[in-house]
Amino acid sequence: MSKIIGIDLGTTNSCVAVMEGGAPKVIHSAEGRNVIPSVVDPIKNIVGDVAKHQAVLNPQDTIFSVKRLMGRKFSDPSVQTDMKLLPYTIKSGKNGMAVVVVGGKEFTPQEISAKVLAKIKADAEKYLGESVTQAVITVPAYFDDSQRQATKQAGEIAGLEVMRIVNEPTASALAYGLDKKNAHTIAVYDLGGGTFDISILELGEGVYEVKATNGDTHLGGDDFDKRILDFLADEFKKDNAVDLRKDPQALQRIRDAAEKAKIELSSSMETEINLPFITQGKNGPLHLVMKMTRAKLESLVGDLITKSIDPVKKCLTDAKKTIKDIDEIVLVGGMTRMPKVVETVKNFFGKTPNQSVNPDEVVAVGAAVQAGVLTGEVKDVVLLDVTPLTLSVETLGGVSTPMIVRNTTVPTSKTEIYSTAADNQTSVEINILQGERPMATDNKSLGRFILSGIPPAPRGIPQVEVTFDIDANGILNVTAKDKATGKASNIRITNSTGLSKEEVEKMKAEAEANAAMDTEKKDKIEARNRADNTIYVAEKTLKDSGDKATDDKTAVREKIKALKEILDTGSKEELETKTNELSEAVQKVGEAMYKEKQGDQPPTGAPPGQEPKEEEKKDEKKVEEGEVVS
Amino acid sequence: MKKKTDSDIQELQKQIEEWKGKYLRALADYQNLEKRTQNEKDELRKLAAEIVLARMLPVVDTLTKAKDHIMDAGLNLAYKELETAFAELGFTKIDVAGKKFNPHEMECIEVVAGEDNMVVEELLSGYKLHDKIVRVAQVKVGKTLQN
Repeated sequence: MSKIIGIDLGTTNSCVAVMEGGAPKVIHSAEGRNVIPSVVDPIKNIVGDVAKHQAVLNPQDTIFSVKRLMGRKFSDPSVQTDMKLLPYTIKSGKNGMAVVVVGGKEFTPQEISAKVLAKIKADAEKYLGESVTQAVITVPAYFDDSQRQATKQAGEIAGLEVMRIVNEPTASALAYGLDKKNAHTIAVYDLGGGTFDISILELGEGVYEVKATNGDTHLGGDDFDKRILDFLADEFKKDNAVDLRKDPQALQRIRDAAEKAKIELSSSMETEINLPFITQGKNGPLHLVMKMTRAKLESLVGDLITKSIDPVKKCLTDAKKTIKDIDEIVLVGGMTRMPKVVETVKNFFGKTPNQSVNPDEVVAVGAAVQAGVLTGEVKDVVLLDVTPLTLSVETLGGVSTPMIVRNTTVPTSKTEIYSTAADNQTSVEINILQGERPMATDNKSLGRFILSGIPPAPRGIPQVEVTFDIDANGILNVTAKDKATGKASNIRITNSTGLSKEEVEKMKAEAEANAAMDTEKKDKIEARNRADNTIYVAEKTLKDSGDKATDDKTAVREKIKALKEILDTGSKEELETKTNELSEAVQKVGEAMYKEKQGDQPPTGAPPGQEPKEEEKKDEKKVEEGEVVS
Repeated sequence: MKKKTDSDIQELQKQIEEWKGKYLRALADYQNLEKRTQNEKDELRKLAAEIVLARMLPVVDTLTKAKDHIMDAGLNLAYKELETAFAELGFTKIDVAGKKFNPHEMECIEVVAGEDNMVVEELLSGYKLHDKIVRVAQVKVGKTLQN
């Protein structure tokens, strides 16, 4: 079944998303961006960034903001206002509708928008690897029938069957799943690149109904950028008596820098704007170096933000609602990343707004969710279970060693090889634990079993393969197998994911609360384990090195003793220091043994013991063979 | 034992169809994901340097401007070295001098008197990593004055 894509056909930028594996995913353009500028040159048939690049060269042929004309009559007062601001020619076409004229040819806003949609369609097809023929497209809540009809036609011209036209604020609410949360009355605050919209929606029979809308058709990020640009240029003029706005190259650089500063100041309190060699002064090149604080930015644009509150108040009045009636607030549009905007909205409503979904993508994401509802994908989403808590085995020193970490999608399985902790250990106990704490005793034991019959061997040599397997029903099977004998034993635990939500939350909270202390405890035990192991290796080395006493060996013995004394009482640091000292000392003994072996043979001549005999025998054989051959 | 009626069988068949559909959809999603992941990985490997290089571009721009202003032989050599290193990484300047304006590789910043639709001057170099454009060049484009 082919996919239905969700499209946010915006005034400044457009965005597209699709449901995949039950979740909405934004499709990036061929240029690798998450949004496509809604800019078109219909003569050369170029769209997006590419069309934007030639806007200065062909201002009359490069159409942007065509959404402002969509489905409107030429005589519409809003068209008359916009005409003064837009550099291309607008005139009255068929039935008095507004059309644009490019290269002497008339284009309807539908045709222009269709070019944007066609690019979106092509990019989506490239991403999905299949043809796309159906779409859900969003429109502003205030669009009338004629404007909605025009948007639908744009889709059809682009070869897309428009399955549904969805209001932008409704799509945003869907993106947050507010309908599922039963949020009854919501406000959507949308401050985009060039327009501001506020909508009040009410949930009725599972569908959001638009109660009222308001806004400012000429308020957006571009105004904010301009304020910063003017500030930078004015400051520079004050100091250097040069107006950078008159130099197109410099202007471009400040414009980019202003936008960058605005974005940086959303996350940091101060930024430095650095534009070396910005222009040529009387005495050589001039550089623009300026610091800007978030407070400065806020003072520059404060009135723009305040300007957005009036429409919000009007909208509430129109919807016959008060601030108290609003259950949820959703933020849309790139400008809502600015902390001051969030703060203003929060203060006005007295509630924290939803802003976890990328505000540039939220409308398209919501459109994709609506598309998913239409294909049945959203209703039918197979919810694969995840393990709510980490499943571990207990290892040396009571440490909880994770096998399957929490949030792993089931069914799943994991195998790990463990070994024995002591020499000649013939059985291991497998203790299965559930929980996020690093120490076994702090987690819940789901069950334990013993694997016996391991052939006696030095510690660390036997290989015990432990497998955790959770099937689709959440049943955990743990198997332990001795690789040498093939002997295995297992346990079946049926309630591995069967904890109540409260229990899971409690365990997670406990883990978080104790994280620092637990880690310390675990680190100490690991240090102790390492110390213990180093002692073992050292003792073994001493045994293997023969009876000859050396200073090195004495040193090792002393260090073993010192380490043993603090094994259970020492701090992590003490253990680590002493362990390192011991392992260095052992290395010296090892080196000496190695040298001895190499150095021994040549000077002593005929080596004693059995080896030479064997060599002699070999020699004899060789001679014999030689004889046979000849 | 109770015999299965036709409607029981039909119901079961319907369920089988339903599950089969869901299974196929999941499988298709998975296979597509796999294919795409592989492609993305290949792409990623090739373009891993892009993020780093794109971040370095403003520095390179400043260095270029400094070099043009200061005109120091040592600095020129250092700059040349940088260009060689970039070339070895497959990071090359977009050639614009004397070319026809191409919005895929260039952005027009200013229109000046000159030959129609031709690049008159490069204001800021554009760069490509292999065949992918990291940044378009900013250029002045010519236009014959009509009056």
